[in-house]
Amino acid sequence: MTDTTQQQIFDLIAKQAKIDVATIKPESTLKDLGIASLEAIELIFDIEEHFNITFPDQQGANFDTDTTQSLVDAVQKALDDKAAAGEGSN
Amino acid sequence: MSTVPLMRRVVITGMGAISPLGVGAEALWQGLREGRSAIGPLNHPDAARLRVKIAAQVPASFDPAANIDERILPMLDRTSEFALHAAREAITQSGLDFRQNGLGVRTAVVVGTGVGGETTQDEQSKRLYGENSQRAHPLTIVRLMTNASASQISIAYGLRGPTYAVASACASANHAIIQAAMMIRYGMADAAVTGGTEACITYGALRAWEAMRVLADDTCRPFSVNRRGLVLGEGAGIFVLESLEHAQARGATILAELAGSGMTADATDIVMPSADGAASAMRQALADAGLAPEDVDYINAHGTGTLANDVTESKAIRLAFGAHADRLAVSSTKSMHGHALGASGALELVAVVGALRDSVVPPTANLDKVDPACDLDYVPNVGREMPVRAALSNSFAFGGLNAVLALKRAP
Repeated sequence: MTDTTQQQIFDLIAKQAKIDVATIKPESTLKDLGIASLEAIELIFDIEEHFNITFPDQQGANFDTDTTQSLVDAVQKALDDKAAAGEGSN
Repeated sequence: MSTVPLMRRVVITGMGAISPLGVGAEALWQGLREGRSAIGPLNHPDAARLRVKIAAQVPASFDPAANIDERILPMLDRTSEFALHAAREAITQSGLDFRQNGLGVRTAVVVGTGVGGETTQDEQSKRLYGENSQRAHPLTIVRLMTNASASQISIAYGLRGPTYAVASACASANHAIIQAAMMIRYGMADAAVTGGTEACITYGALRAWEAMRVLADDTCRPFSVNRRGLVLGEGAGIFVLESLEHAQARGATILAELAGSGMTADATDIVMPSADGAASAMRQALADAGLAPEDVDYINAHGTGTLANDVTESKAIRLAFGAHADRLAVSSTKSMHGHALGASGALELVAVVGALRDSVVPPTANLDKVDPACDLDYVPNVGREMPVRAALSNSFAFGGLNAVLALKRAP
């Protein structure tokens, strides 16, 4: 389950960074992968759209220096919160 | 070799503002010098479903219809309402009569705005796409066109000189004011009505800003280590500029001298600012005004309250001013009037004129603890009485565009 989420996120990162998905490691930061500030915000948007989740506001500001694993964790948390809330629309 | 062009000195003889701190330039200046922040809960019909919860908005007590011809009112987007009211105040203060001696023909109108008639655009989009209406309002175009504010001012006062809008996002007002000053300096006009206006606290624009993840959720804290981003504002600031000799010949009260300006582009990134670009605009403004760094006492910073701006701007000031940077008072009044985008430079010019005139530097409000990466004197939370001989006003825009004004006390 987590692997699936991770794989989907890595695919989105690979697409945004135009790199081979195999080069993405959980400890890589988006910055390491060449994703600068505005592209990081765009990636967050792609992830939100893909999983139909909304990240809290301030989180986005740090995504370019956080690891891809922390991104996966944040998505997983948002998905869990959504599941716990029952039918989360919006 | 061409002859040296005519170079005339340019002065400010009138100012007006509609701002989150109220109606009138004095309401704005009094609020700023007292360190009062006008940032509050977002007042919008869709506030409940938006993530953004705060803004700096023109108070509901502002009456757009006051003193405006009722036949003109339906043609005005909120942007133009702000601009017309601010222009009226500025022109009244200047005492100029544009019908006398053909002055109207020798007067330019240049108004900056980031997006123009955003409220109109948002309303009509909702109607067409949201409500499936087949019909747009017939005055949609005349309300939303970016030059509407400049044109409405021209029409209201019979100003027949060069008239147009300037758009450079958050630097629009400063770029517009520089254009107007240049025309007076080089003899293309004797007077100008200029400034900036913005009204884009709409559902669509708020959603777009949310998506960019640069909005603060508490308040605007420029240069503070606990800053969380910018806070959107709105309003207009409009000024009357004249050549010095024109103002002196009629015995006008001069508020300040617009002594010089600097404009550069970073040519690096669409959003991340460059210290070099900002510093070179400040250096240009100093040189153009004939100022040495030591002559300047105050800088009204762009100071958005974002990490990217505050650190870069502080570095840029140090680059441009060298050792004198430690002696400058630097404040961001966006902590109080919010970020009015294309109008921000105009609201901030009201603060600079006030500082020069009253010898009081407005503070940076909400400054809890200075970010160690920002190493200047940001005049935290309380205004400071001090002589201000000359000042800079910085505006830096998305797109990497820098426009800096240099002002001196009235001669």
